Amino acid sequence: MAGFVIAHMYPDLLNLYGDRGNLLCLQQRMRWHGHDCRIKNIRLGEKIEYANIDMVFMGGGSDREQGLVYRDLAGRSDEFMARIEDGLPVLCICGAYQLLGTSYIAVNGQVMEGLKFFNFITRGAKNRLIGNVLIKACMDGDEISIVGFENHGGRTFFEDDTLQALGRVIKGYGNNGEDKKEGIKYKNLIGTYLHGPLLPKNPAAADFFLKAMARRRGVELDSRLDDYIEKIAHEQIKNRLLAK
Amino acid sequence: MRKILTITAGKILIFLSRMLGNQGTDFPGRAARTLYPGILKALAANIQEEIFIVTGTNGKTTTTNMIASILREKGYTLVHNTAGANMLSGITTAFIEASDLLGRKKFDYALLEVDEAFVPLLIKEVRPRVVIITNFFRDQLDRYGELDHTINLIKEGVRNTDIELVLNGDDPLISHFHNDTGLHCWYYGFAQTIYDSVESMESREGRYCVFCGHELDYQRYHYAQLGQFRCPECDNHNPDMNFTGNKLKMNPFIEMNVNDLFIQSPYQGFYNAYNILAAVSAARLVGIEDRTIQRAIAGYRPRAGRMENFIINGKRTILILVKNPTGLNQTLSTLLYDTKSKNLFIALNDNAADGRDISWIWDADVEMLADVKARIVYVVSSGQRSGDMAVRIKYSGVNPGIINIKSDLKEGIELAVAGAGETNYILSTYTALFECQKILRKLQKDDSKIVGQRQLQA
Ligand SMILES: [Zn+2]
Repeated sequence: MAGFVIAHMYPDLLNLYGDRGNLLCLQQRMRWHGHDCRIKNIRLGEKIEYANIDMVFMGGGSDREQGLVYRDLAGRSDEFMARIEDGLPVLCICGAYQLLGTSYIAVNGQVMEGLKFFNFITRGAKNRLIGNVLIKACMDGDEISIVGFENHGGRTFFEDDTLQALGRVIKGYGNNGEDKKEGIKYKNLIGTYLHGPLLPKNPAAADFFLKAMARRRGVELDSRLDDYIEKIAHEQIKNRLLAK
Repeated sequence: MRKILTITAGKILIFLSRMLGNQGTDFPGRAARTLYPGILKALAANIQEEIFIVTGTNGKTTTTNMIASILREKGYTLVHNTAGANMLSGITTAFIEASDLLGRKKFDYALLEVDEAFVPLLIKEVRPRVVIITNFFRDQLDRYGELDHTINLIKEGVRNTDIELVLNGDDPLISHFHNDTGLHCWYYGFAQTIYDSVESMESREGRYCVFCGHELDYQRYHYAQLGQFRCPECDNHNPDMNFTGNKLKMNPFIEMNVNDLFIQSPYQGFYNAYNILAAVSAARLVGIEDRTIQRAIAGYRPRAGRMENFIINGKRTILILVKNPTGLNQTLSTLLYDTKSKNLFIALNDNAADGRDISWIWDADVEMLADVKARIVYVVSSGQRSGDMAVRIKYSGVNPGIINIKSDLKEGIELAVAGAGETNYILSTYTALFECQKILRKLQKDDSKIVGQRQLQA
């Protein structure tokens, strides 16, 4: 039995929309696979010991909170990016996803800097993009569908053609409501607007992270989990979206 | 003339929608507002004394109903909207229903429960004297963006009016209302209680100073983020209270003193102690005498969806409305105090009135269901998002083998009450609530018929 640790970045600040469901999901599934999994909270100013961490999770927050997080991470972003290059599994939802880009331009023209890990920008807009989403994505070589709920004012545009989206929008808005792209995927990092939360009703996406975590530790996840209930939840909303 | 026609049409629509078995009280009001956009303003002019608005995330309905029962106890006539119909259309329906056909019938007070986002619009049409704000918790954010935005909307709405505010002085998200609006504010809050904790439970909003963003220091938490706080950076802290809850006891029913007035209630739970405190504060502002307040609060009992009881197959069956993480937590914690084994039914819908975004179920501590004390023996997940609710319950640690999925409400309830538990808990979000109530009433009736026949045969 291995003991895995997931760092939950800024749980006090970034915790909108049931994001903790993603952590609960990863933790439980890892346990069902027979391994221990702990959540380590990282607060403002707290040192991140990457050597003891198997995955990083960051959720969304309001503007004020995003500003605090940016200031906390900006000074130490090089190490974070190096770990991402090295294959550290990372899941960034909504506001945390936006933070990975170069900047966020608010409706009033104010520019908020991003961590500049990837060359994309986010422009604020008055009306929010809200609703259930269905995308097609490729995970571990298989084409799968992912369902979720989006609620964001910002529109994200890739400024680098080599950036790979998490998936292609079938129903809903995605990054910007225009180019049919949703989220970003880079090595073992996923940034996305999908919450709902994302992982519990998309077990294939949860397993993508579990497998990556296990692989990095030389552990095999050999048991197959029974995803009967998860599949019903997934199909329920997928079928409703496709029927429209 | 247009007013009379609109009222007549509105009343007919109310009658028709009742006949069709709809509790939906929004539609007649919406239709009336299309016929005559000034209808609400015109009818609000019939209020002789004052209009009170109650808003905030949690406790609006209970607080409003308690104030209404105090005013009725005193003998005043009221316009009062029913639970959940708290947008402009629902409020318009309430005024039309109370009115005579000419639209001239006078009332002493109007007592309006209002959804946070509709406060500014409502204030433009009716002129309230007092706005009571219960608290700001995270709730159905998908409809309006984030909490900050909602709070700003309300502040903008009341600015440059002569409204008086009655505010929860224990809620740090309300601290800046006085500075930002310049309005006269009355505060209510609790002194130290034996239920306080020094550690924060799971409060997710409002632990940061609204003035400078610094994390607040809490001397004690009463309930969620409500408590005694101070900002180490700018010294922002609880205001001086006008109405203080002292000597709170919950055994399990609530007893306390509000300033020097002794209050007893058949309600339970700290969140309800806040509702009572808010209602008593408002009643004292109006000048209602002590005896009337005491009698009204002592006689005010829970109703529809707020723990309504049925007997089905001889088993106690309790219907409870759940609509946000706080409410669900409150309900789940009461399950832990009930020692009987339970069949649990939960209906999760995602219509506009429920909140389109159902991710809030992950913010509630559903893990309580997996506690041995909860004694859950059978679970049925139902409603439009039965799958999501079932997944949530599975990940809480409940044995997946006892979790069933039946989206259809009737089939789901029938399945649930056939479970092996000694008692049935039926939980539902708003838009499934009245359907569940109807199904339970029918089952209860069938049940009593069968019992009656058996007695005849014997
Ligand atoms: Zn401060």
